Amino acid sequence: MSTPILSAHSLVKHFNAGGFGAARKVVRAVDDVSFELAPGETLGVVGESGCGKSTTARLLVQLLTPDSGSVRYEGKMVGPELPLKSFRSKVQMVFQDSFASLNPRMTMIDAVAFGPMVHGVSRAEAMRKAQDLLDRVGLDPTRFGGRYAHELSGGQRQRVNIARALAFDPRVIVLDEAVSALDKSVEAQVLNLLMDLRRERGLTYVFISHDLNVVRHISDRVMVMYLGEVAEIGPAESLYSAPRHPYTEALLAAMPSLDPDRRTMEAPLAGDPPNPIDPPPGCRFHTRCAHAFGPCSAQVPVSHRVGTGHVAACHLNAKTEEVA
Amino acid sequence: MAVTADTVAHLATIEKSQGYWRSVWTRFLRDKVAVCAGLVAAGLVLMAVFAPWIAPANPLDGSMIKRLSPIGTEGYPLGADELGRDMLSRLIYGARLSLFMGVVPVLIAFTIGAAIGIAAGYLGGWVNTITMRVLDVLYAFPSVLLAIAISGALGAGILNGLLSLTVVFIPPIARVAESVTTSVRKLEYIEAAQASGASSLRIVRDHVLGNVLGPIFVYATSLISVSMILAAGLSFLGLGVSPPNAEWGLMLNTLRNAIYVQPWLAALPGVMIFLTSISFNMLSDGLRSAMDVKQ
Amino acid sequence: MTQETVHAVTPLVRVQDLSVRFAGTPPVHAVNNVSFDLAPGEVLGILGESGSGKSVTLKTLLRLLPERKTKITGRVEVDGNDVLSLQGRALADHRGGVASMIFQDPALALDPVYTVGQQIAETVMRHEAISKSDAMTRALEMLELVRIPSAKRRLENYPHEMSGGMRQRAMIALALACRPKLLLADEPTTALDATVQIQILLLLRELQQEMGMGVIFVTHDIGVAVEVSDRLAVMYAGSFVETGSVRDVIRDARHPYSKGLLAANLVGAVPGTRLDAVPGAPPPLNALPEGCSFAPRCAHAEAACHASPLPVWTGADGRWARCVQASRTETLAKAEGQR
Repeated sequence: MSTPILSAHSLVKHFNAGGFGAARKVVRAVDDVSFELAPGETLGVVGESGCGKSTTARLLVQLLTPDSGSVRYEGKMVGPELPLKSFRSKVQMVFQDSFASLNPRMTMIDAVAFGPMVHGVSRAEAMRKAQDLLDRVGLDPTRFGGRYAHELSGGQRQRVNIARALAFDPRVIVLDEAVSALDKSVEAQVLNLLMDLRRERGLTYVFISHDLNVVRHISDRVMVMYLGEVAEIGPAESLYSAPRHPYTEALLAAMPSLDPDRRTMEAPLAGDPPNPIDPPPGCRFHTRCAHAFGPCSAQVPVSHRVGTGHVAACHLNAKTEEVA
Repeated sequence: MAVTADTVAHLATIEKSQGYWRSVWTRFLRDKVAVCAGLVAAGLVLMAVFAPWIAPANPLDGSMIKRLSPIGTEGYPLGADELGRDMLSRLIYGARLSLFMGVVPVLIAFTIGAAIGIAAGYLGGWVNTITMRVLDVLYAFPSVLLAIAISGALGAGILNGLLSLTVVFIPPIARVAESVTTSVRKLEYIEAAQASGASSLRIVRDHVLGNVLGPIFVYATSLISVSMILAAGLSFLGLGVSPPNAEWGLMLNTLRNAIYVQPWLAALPGVMIFLTSISFNMLSDGLRSAMDVKQ
Repeated sequence: MTQETVHAVTPLVRVQDLSVRFAGTPPVHAVNNVSFDLAPGEVLGILGESGSGKSVTLKTLLRLLPERKTKITGRVEVDGNDVLSLQGRALADHRGGVASMIFQDPALALDPVYTVGQQIAETVMRHEAISKSDAMTRALEMLELVRIPSAKRRLENYPHEMSGGMRQRAMIALALACRPKLLLADEPTTALDATVQIQILLLLRELQQEMGMGVIFVTHDIGVAVEVSDRLAVMYAGSFVETGSVRDVIRDARHPYSKGLLAANLVGAVPGTRLDAVPGAPPPLNALPEGCSFAPRCAHAEAACHASPLPVWTGADGRWARCVQASRTETLAKAEGQR
């Protein structure tokens, strides 16, 4: 891999969930997460609620400060080596809730123009750029530029949010469930837009979603998270066709088949995902894993290289594969 | 890059959507109760402003023979008080001090309380905790007691009454400001603004203020009636406004002895206080529902 | 369940020409001339996006819509009763006794101040002359039926003490406590994680077969609909646009909207390629276009699409689609076959 455009190095983020002293409860939202993004690639991030996907996204764009670990942009550590403000214009984010991510008192054109103006662009110039961008995401600026968020549909608002992110001319966009709240037919339109923009502008995406179908469609590589840790990361193709972590396998098996003759006959996992406040020791997945054996409940599994650029953290791979 | 005339002309063609405050106004006009309350409130304010022109007599001129004349006496349409002063004129002049004591403390408290609350809400963390705990201490006293205590310590007088009422209203307004700001701060458009690299001051100015001032202001307007009643209470106790000034609370106090002789007359200042407070309350209710932006 | 028996027995649900309007200026046409039958023991999936009228249709079957603001026309029969004219005691017996409903968010549907056991027992006692202890026994049976582990202990739990999947199971137990003949499911798995969703879907499928009840399952997710349904109805802008067996609709969708939905669900899509997305958005329900509501978004729209009534194409096994083109291709195919 060439110099990664964005990389996460052992990111850790814990939240206080109340209590003092010995009774203090800590949500281990993200625990020792590392990965790299090559320029122009799309990394899909999947996992269930509480797996730390959204926290990872916010750490990546520096909306949260990690307890330890660091984020690097083109090899430079954000903060000491790269000023936060210039990092901000390189890495942008689009959120799930299209309504909450727009200021209800701002017109759409002002919302898009706000970013460039923060970075010193004149108002007229920022407005011109905002117009072009609204046009690019498929919204006629003369019709939609003067409107407020509540006057737009969900799909239109999400287009505005994409335009707002683009207004910085970023290299990386973190999309946190950006299409999940949209109706399917609208979701397809927005996915097309995202893929077109990626090609036109050479963008790098971190695409977070709970929808494995969509992630498969848009991603080059996929990262599977479970209770704040990376379970498996690898090329979309091999991860979907030959998963090397039982959790990935279970997630794939839990997808509805879309084939009336091959309906799912057995649920791959029992029960709900455990609470990240008190994750199980050893491999965090061992309490739900059908293959759990000796070391799983005691030792934290190390990452094993299981293929080209394909790494999985599971004891099952210990005998056959080398440590990554 | 230079801004060409063409760019500007192009910008001008953007269809301006009906602005937020326009849409609030349209919705407000549809609410008949709120519009009526607004008209009554406006009428009361006009009455206070133009009191010297409207009032038929000098509110301080008394006539010993006309003492406690009933409602409808010739020359005294609403009767005369215990010193024979024209009740109608006193009620009209009374609106000046009563509304002043209702509105001004709330306005000052709104400015100070909103600033404290928004700062605490936006900064969060320990700043928030300390500020809010300090305010909670003040908040723990019943507002009537607190107002009486402060006024009592400072002595009677309009200014002291004003000061004590302002102090009473800062904690509740700051509290509301804090909770509104905290909920706005968690919204993703604030996160998006943070991710844009904007400074905290700029985010507060461009993204927070516009979304929190409205709800805080509505809450503050609902306090106007409380302030009026508290001011009336202070005057009634001999704190705050002092005789012979016309103020509804004070009038209620001095007419108290006449309640068995002329019960309707004695009730008139109370009716005015009731009318004013209910119209301000309904007005603020109407504003609140008109300001609700629905998705 | 085979197709013959569907038509042989009297249907459990018969909806004819159902329309629902909500008061407003102009009024909102939430459901427009919907007709369908549901045989006992059959599972019908109603597939549609937000605002398509699928939930409104479901709520009409329980008369859950606010009466004063709603105008319902048409006929709804459940188990031989005319639902739209039910009053008082008869309506109460219908709700929960004959038909019951499960919702998307069990946290809102369950009462937070009573234990799960109390809630189930109370529902049973309302519909059946049964003692409190017997009702509790039934509650325990129900929790076991929905495979809640250590059910006896869970009986004493309040809803907030349970995880999301567990709460959804508890709500299913509550809905099934009086052995209804009809279960109405309104996106019951949408808020759940994928690994939990599949558990709930499998549970519903099993319980449906065990208890032989009819189910109407409303969802926006084709995958979910395919997992549970026998028949599928695709709903758009308040109307059914296509129905048929799940197999037929998935394999050979006739309405362009159904085709668009399948494409949007990435059925057969090559990763990384542009999707065959339907442009635009559904029309507002207070200003529906004349003729086909989908025509403004349809790539194949023509003049005939803007006229009412629309021709309906019918196929085998009660299949139909309301589309000008679908009906024409069929006639062409027939004509070619005869040649």
